[in-house]
Amino acid sequence: MAETAILYDSSKCTACKGCQVACKQWNQLPSPLVAEEYEFTKSFQSPLDNTPDNWLIINFSEVNKEVGIDWNFMRNACFHCSEAACEMACPVGAITKAANGAVVIDQAKCIGCRYCVASCPFGVPRWNEATNTTFKCWQCQDRTSAERAPACVGTCPTGALVFGDRGEMVAAASERTAQLKELGFANAEVYGESELGGLHTIVVAHRGLEAHGLVRDPRISLTNFWQALKPLGGLAAAATVAGLGFSYFMARNYSREDVVYDEVNDTLVNKTEVK
Amino acid sequence: MRYIQRQSAYARGLHWIHTIACLALYVTGLILFIPSVAAAVGPSAVQGARVIHRVMAAIFVLAPLLSIAIRPKGFVHVIKGWIFKWDEKDKEFMKKFPKYLLLGGSEHMPDQKYMKSGQAVADLGVVFMSILISVSGVVLLWPAFFGGGQIVLWSLLLHDAAMILLGVMLIAHIYIGAGIFQPYRGSGRIMFGDGKISESDALYHWGTWAREEIKKGDSVSLE
Repeated sequence: MAETAILYDSSKCTACKGCQVACKQWNQLPSPLVAEEYEFTKSFQSPLDNTPDNWLIINFSEVNKEVGIDWNFMRNACFHCSEAACEMACPVGAITKAANGAVVIDQAKCIGCRYCVASCPFGVPRWNEATNTTFKCWQCQDRTSAERAPACVGTCPTGALVFGDRGEMVAAASERTAQLKELGFANAEVYGESELGGLHTIVVAHRGLEAHGLVRDPRISLTNFWQALKPLGGLAAAATVAGLGFSYFMARNYSREDVVYDEVNDTLVNKTEVK
Repeated sequence: MRYIQRQSAYARGLHWIHTIACLALYVTGLILFIPSVAAAVGPSAVQGARVIHRVMAAIFVLAPLLSIAIRPKGFVHVIKGWIFKWDEKDKEFMKKFPKYLLLGGSEHMPDQKYMKSGQAVADLGVVFMSILISVSGVVLLWPAFFGGGQIVLWSLLLHDAAMILLGVMLIAHIYIGAGIFQPYRGSGRIMFGDGKISESDALYHWGTWAREEIKKGDSVSLE
């Protein structure tokens, strides 16, 4: 299967939040059933951050201008990295990469250790206390495997979200960025082409990466390479056992005379001589 | 035959508790450390292993801490055992021990006090690694309380590194201490039996200490 990707074009996004709703609906993610569960912050953004039941949110970055404000929207969900820190950190192999590049958590295998939460450079996975497992966008693998676009893409009314072959999405993003520059968005940039080995969510950030809250040059923490300790640990244990095995072999004929202490003369005497 | 009482019932009891906790921590920890093992045993067993790991970790940490509170004099005795001025025999022991261990006890080792110099070095290494593995384990237990992110990843790295080093030391400790290593045969009785060592073995392993104990006589018994 060819690698696929979602293309998010911030210049076309109206932050209608239809994608947020479609994600919750398709994936049957519950919403609070009590009034004012989410804190009112005077922003149109709601909820304020991803949660185990909100795998996709639209971030509202509101920047004051001389007159009015700039709304810099950003689709905040898993980027499905090729070099996925969460996959590396998972101690039980619950996080895997699908053939199309999507990074998926197997809920049946997840043990709720939250190492993926700590390791993701974007802070995407969220731990659910009730289930003691971690959740994030899985790029609607049930839909894409049936050649349908993810739910968020399917509902987008403005074409800000498109799904398809990853190479085509990158090409479309580059073309759109060039157009935007011609239209006066000098800071327009493509995000996801090469970051962390290539993301499977490509972003057209028409006001530049920082304006949309994107992490420029995201890195996997060095500590994520703790997995390398596993073969080293095995090697250390094997070398120790081998060394001690050699020691055991060398001492196979070991014997010594029993001695007693003659405290009067302060000497050691062979036990056989004591008789 | 004369025997010298080397370890008290209290010390042996504590050692038993730590032995069980340690072995359980390794078995349950390896399930979490090796993904193929976790996959083989299944999610329920992995979750069970995590619970047992935490309970055993609590025992591993609390047993010595409570022991300090219950028997402060015993704690001072242990500390004094580790910290002493090395004489020429102690230095000679350290120099000879690698060859002695590898070549099957053919080397003649110098007399030692209550604590062999090599034993003190190994013990202090184990204590340092145990503190490291305990502190990092606490962070891994409550990641949100410690702010998550990098501190969790560093704790994970240190926890695993300490586990590997402690594992290597544990294998060597079992080999020597339990008397699998032929020159140490019979020493398993000190911690897993009645805490006694034969006069002959005591003179061989801790010559200086054995002479002092025999002269004093209060810890010596005839069997």
